[in-house]
Amino acid sequence: MASNTKSAILAQHRANDDLNTPLLSQVARADSDLAADGMRSPLAERIIAAASAALEDGQTHYVDVPGIGPLRAAVADYLKVSSGANYRQGNIVITAGLQESRFLSIQMIGEQYDSIALPAVVHPGVRKALGVRSRNPRTMPVDPARGYLPSIDAIAETASDGCRLFYLESPSRLSGAAFTAGEVAAISQILADKDAALIWDQGLAPWVDGAYASPAALDSDCARVAAIGEAYSGMGLASWFVGYIAAPEAWVPALQSQKQIMAICTSTASQYAALEADQLYSEARTRQLSLLGGLRADLLSAASQAGLRVVKGGAVNLIALQLSADNMNRLRRVGIDFAAGRLFGAPDLVRLNVNHSTAAALAALS
Amino acid sequence: MSQKKKSGTSLLYQLIGEARGYDDAIIMGRGDPDFDTPPHIVAAAKEAMIHHHNDYSPPQGLLPLRQAIAERVKRVNNIDVDPESEVVVTNGGQEALFLMVLAVTSPGDEMIVPEPNYNTYADSLAFAGGVKVEVQTYAETDFRADPGVVRQLITDKTRSLLLVSPNNPAASVISPSDMREMLDIAIERDLMILADDIYDLFVYDDFQHVSPASLPGGKERALTLNALSKSYSMTGWRLGWIVGPADLMARVAELKAAISGGTSVISQYAGIAALTGPQDAVEMMAEAYRKRRRMVLDALDEMGMQYGMPQGGQFVFADIGFTGLDSAEVAQRMLTEQHVLAYPGSAFSKDRKDYLRMTFLQPEDQLLEGLERMKVVMDNIMAEKK
Ligand SMILES: Cc1ncc(COP(=O)(O)O)c(C=O)c1O
Repeated sequence: MASNTKSAILAQHRANDDLNTPLLSQVARADSDLAADGMRSPLAERIIAAASAALEDGQTHYVDVPGIGPLRAAVADYLKVSSGANYRQGNIVITAGLQESRFLSIQMIGEQYDSIALPAVVHPGVRKALGVRSRNPRTMPVDPARGYLPSIDAIAETASDGCRLFYLESPSRLSGAAFTAGEVAAISQILADKDAALIWDQGLAPWVDGAYASPAALDSDCARVAAIGEAYSGMGLASWFVGYIAAPEAWVPALQSQKQIMAICTSTASQYAALEADQLYSEARTRQLSLLGGLRADLLSAASQAGLRVVKGGAVNLIALQLSADNMNRLRRVGIDFAAGRLFGAPDLVRLNVNHSTAAALAALS
Repeated sequence: MSQKKKSGTSLLYQLIGEARGYDDAIIMGRGDPDFDTPPHIVAAAKEAMIHHHNDYSPPQGLLPLRQAIAERVKRVNNIDVDPESEVVVTNGGQEALFLMVLAVTSPGDEMIVPEPNYNTYADSLAFAGGVKVEVQTYAETDFRADPGVVRQLITDKTRSLLLVSPNNPAASVISPSDMREMLDIAIERDLMILADDIYDLFVYDDFQHVSPASLPGGKERALTLNALSKSYSMTGWRLGWIVGPADLMARVAELKAAISGGTSVISQYAGIAALTGPQDAVEMMAEAYRKRRRMVLDALDEMGMQYGMPQGGQFVFADIGFTGLDSAEVAQRMLTEQHVLAYPGSAFSKDRKDYLRMTFLQPEDQLLEGLERMKVVMDNIMAEKK
């Protein structure tokens, strides 16, 4: 028998474009897949050994909702060393990956504000998270010349309009462009002047070659900025779904309580693996950074020879191109999967991951 | 007592925090089996770390796992589902629960919920802006939810009916005839059914578990959750699922992608090993719980506690009203005086201040010791009363 109740639920569902936004996969499905959010990376023997030892040792039970203590401490230390942020163990909530970090922070920090300002070009996971329960999003225009980041003026204007919660990516999940130290200082000033708060997606920060500027470093008493990211990207853990939120102490109880409601805790195998990855990260990341940096430099010159327009970006793990519809079709025809800028809000862009297969994609365009 | 003002969950966290401070604490509260995950499942996870750590998994889960789940719900629950479109893998039963509630609830919608119940249902409903309509159940009638009462509570805002069988904390099992009647009501009044089968392998004596989705007319309006947490001792792996009709499951899959993107492939491979490998560990554990349940009931009888006969699940919900004290106070005294932690009923529902929930998820010697210690506190309380 047909159900009207179900039909009503489904009709409402179909009308919810935000919730139906397609997501990108967490790792590549094949060598020709340059669309994924995370990297396919080798997994160190030591990580396998540590995660298996934990499981064999009986770490197969529920653990603390915000994560195992040592991992929370390691993430806080890592954030201090890598970006100068002042978070401590008690500020950290370990999540089941970046999308959970997005969902929890947007929904629970969002609950405390009337609206949330988003860049017009942002990862589709943001709109998707808002599709579950809207937090009254407002859009800030972005500047193509700045890698599709919103300008400081746009942020200031939105704050002056009374919006007191911001969601920003640095580097941008589409272009890899990151805010400069000067811009970050200006953002911090706006937050302080307007008593505003910020969710800061810094998941791609490890792939910035050179100095990385974080507003969390300027938030000396950790009161306004929640930083989110995937934990130890590039360590072969993309499919293990482990991420973090580093949040002001006042926000942690709400995040923790919602994490309890929707997951109880994060998988122990993932947490113990991440804990071991922390030990190896400094060296492994430096190696990967230089490898990807070299590959990307080659891609940039190939793109320039082919007359392609590369979007200004900083992160070495991806390259964003402005492409005609014809060129996008060409990529599809040769079987290259790319992240369509359309999903982010920039229909004429594509994002390609930087790896050993990317050169073939550019060759198809020249 | 200050606990009275606290929410159920925060009261529990306070008690758990205190219990951690005692070296000799016996935890008879948390729903976490004492057994570690069977070794062949851990071995499969290790294999997956070596060979599959970079595997792509769609948000709804790896197909081989969905196939194993489809096979399991057919074999155990007699629910027919297509692994391609009617199964979504989740981060434990908890995420499944949250997703099910979100899937059918818009702000203002009412859900009928037998009480007492696992508090996450109320929390998830609150997140979704839904309204909980309670069907009260009592120890005297073994916590049976009366379909006649359900019928009376339906309004034009009612969208769904929650059926947790065996129930947590009440340990009641919905009888086949009550289940049929609940489904008939849902069909008649056009309600969605949310079925929580997480304790389906733990059913005692002659009681019988029935999934509403297995009954004629059930599947198209039921979402059914389960998880490996309780039956395979895999609480730390965060692996569960929802099965249901393809149209609603497409919505569940989008919601899953929106809230967490996917599920760890290591846990998923472990899940495949659990569901398709040898099942003797599951039977061994279930047998241990049967034996321990008897021990707990004997001890409660000795203490003069009333309880609804636990027909299933891994706990007993006992009435301590005769002490004249609030269960939060009794739980606190048990913890402080004897270092034994049982969960106060007020953690499950504001109306259950007279109840304590005890699990039988501890090794036998600890369980006996815990029950002995509880008896000391109960004797003290009764002596003070005189
Ligand atoms: C009735 C019920 N449903 C769902 C869950 C969630 O279990 P998990 O997320 O550990 O699989 C629990 C846990 O106690 C429960 O009692």
